[in-house]
Amino acid sequence: MVSTWWRVGRASAANAFADLVVIYTPASWVFGWLVRVLAQVAFYALIGTLLESPAQQRFLLVGGAVTVMVTEVLLVCASTAWERQAGTLPLLVVAPVSMVPVFLGRSVQWIPSALATSSIALFALGPVFGVGWTVGTALLAWAVLVLTCLATYLFGFAVSMLVLGFIELRNLVGAVVTAITTAISGAVVPVDFWPAGVRFVAHLLPATYGLDALHRLSREEITFTILSNAGLLVLVGVGWLGIGASLLAALVGLGRRRGTLEFP
Amino acid sequence: MRLLLTGAAYQLRLLRRSPGDLIALATTPLLTVVFLAVVEHNGRPDLAVNAVLAPALIALWGMSLLIAGDMIDAERATGTFEVLVATPARLWPLFTGRVLVVTVVSLLGLVESWLVATVVFGVPLRVAHPGLFAVTLLATVLAMSGHAGVMTSLFVLSRSARIFQNSLSFPFYVLGGVLVPVALLPAFLRPVSTVVFLSWSADLLRDSLRPAAPDSPVLRVGMVLGLGAAGAALSWWLLSVVLRRARRTGSIALGG
Repeated sequence: MVSTWWRVGRASAANAFADLVVIYTPASWVFGWLVRVLAQVAFYALIGTLLESPAQQRFLLVGGAVTVMVTEVLLVCASTAWERQAGTLPLLVVAPVSMVPVFLGRSVQWIPSALATSSIALFALGPVFGVGWTVGTALLAWAVLVLTCLATYLFGFAVSMLVLGFIELRNLVGAVVTAITTAISGAVVPVDFWPAGVRFVAHLLPATYGLDALHRLSREEITFTILSNAGLLVLVGVGWLGIGASLLAALVGLGRRRGTLEFP
Repeated sequence: MRLLLTGAAYQLRLLRRSPGDLIALATTPLLTVVFLAVVEHNGRPDLAVNAVLAPALIALWGMSLLIAGDMIDAERATGTFEVLVATPARLWPLFTGRVLVVTVVSLLGLVESWLVATVVFGVPLRVAHPGLFAVTLLATVLAMSGHAGVMTSLFVLSRSARIFQNSLSFPFYVLGGVLVPVALLPAFLRPVSTVVFLSWSADLLRDSLRPAAPDSPVLRVGMVLGLGAAGAALSWWLLSVVLRRARRTGSIALGG
């Protein structure tokens, strides 16, 4: 099963990267997307200037860098919907293989792009706004960033399974989930700022654990908490993968019963 | 005027059936929560004005550019652009009416952010200079319409420009001082900000909410209107270039 999933996932990823090449040229990625992303991170970091607080400036820069990563990874909602728009869902249903690796691979193009932009934001723009890194903290921070990105992708996979049923809302859902993540996951204010109910929701989001670890590393605090955050990232990511796979099975079952697979 | 109103009525009907076009309004309350949370967490109630106005200006800019940028392409996709070009009516007032409606509807973002401030955070905002606030808002809507019209034609003239549509957001939120005033930006950015009408609008809107008497309000409203008029003139010229080129190359229906 593993080899089949890998083969199918790779074929689906080839589709994903073909999409990326159509969307961006190297020049438009650098002068269009990257400039926009760095401006977004600077926008948040500058709030620290407004507050006349260098500590807040550093906090908001780290938050901004993770937020742009989440923004890009959650484009999975849009690219998953493109697959249904292309009318391939009925074909995928009759194929003798699970659809999970198909949809897991279908949007992986956002992962390297999101990692590149958020890494540049953290490690190149960071020092401009007072976030300094040693080799050790930078390496650990990058590892946390990779884990956060992968776990957020699995979270996005689950959200996109909901979007598959309402593809006209693909951009809306992505934008709203990104904004909620920005608000409550510790990107702009510590999670403790929020009431208990909101804190509970925040702890379901992978970004919350990644941000906690990155804030600590930006303050050169290398503690056991970072390791536990990494473990929680894996756990939460796998949880969302399970939820996503269940939602996909439910959607397909419903579509087959009602005959609406081709017509969402 | 009739064409302007026709365009406006048509766009209003379109908006009611396109929930995807209202993304900016869906995220405005959440953005307000983000900015007000930062202000409250840091014990800076004096900055609530910035936190409430910023999401509204972001909605205004984001929604106007998104919808206006897609207008001609959408007409092409539905096969109606040829018919529009063939009619004896002028297109510029028609498109301007449509853009104006989008800009006015995007002002709902201001209502949303005001409500979030009052209901969720209990921050009562009072307009200290209501006359100036209303005039600045009106000038901002007009200026935004002028600039959004530029995008309508620009994205048709240059296919590569569309790739940068997404990039016209945060760089302009920084340069336009929608949250952090231009005076706090690095010195090398400030001259660029002077030609971004948002920077004049944002500063003046914030000043009109605060009790202190604003400096040179007439001059600053004039700057918003002047930059808006420059945008409108550019939009009119660009649309005529688009139409001339499309007629010459026989590409009205095909694009490019």
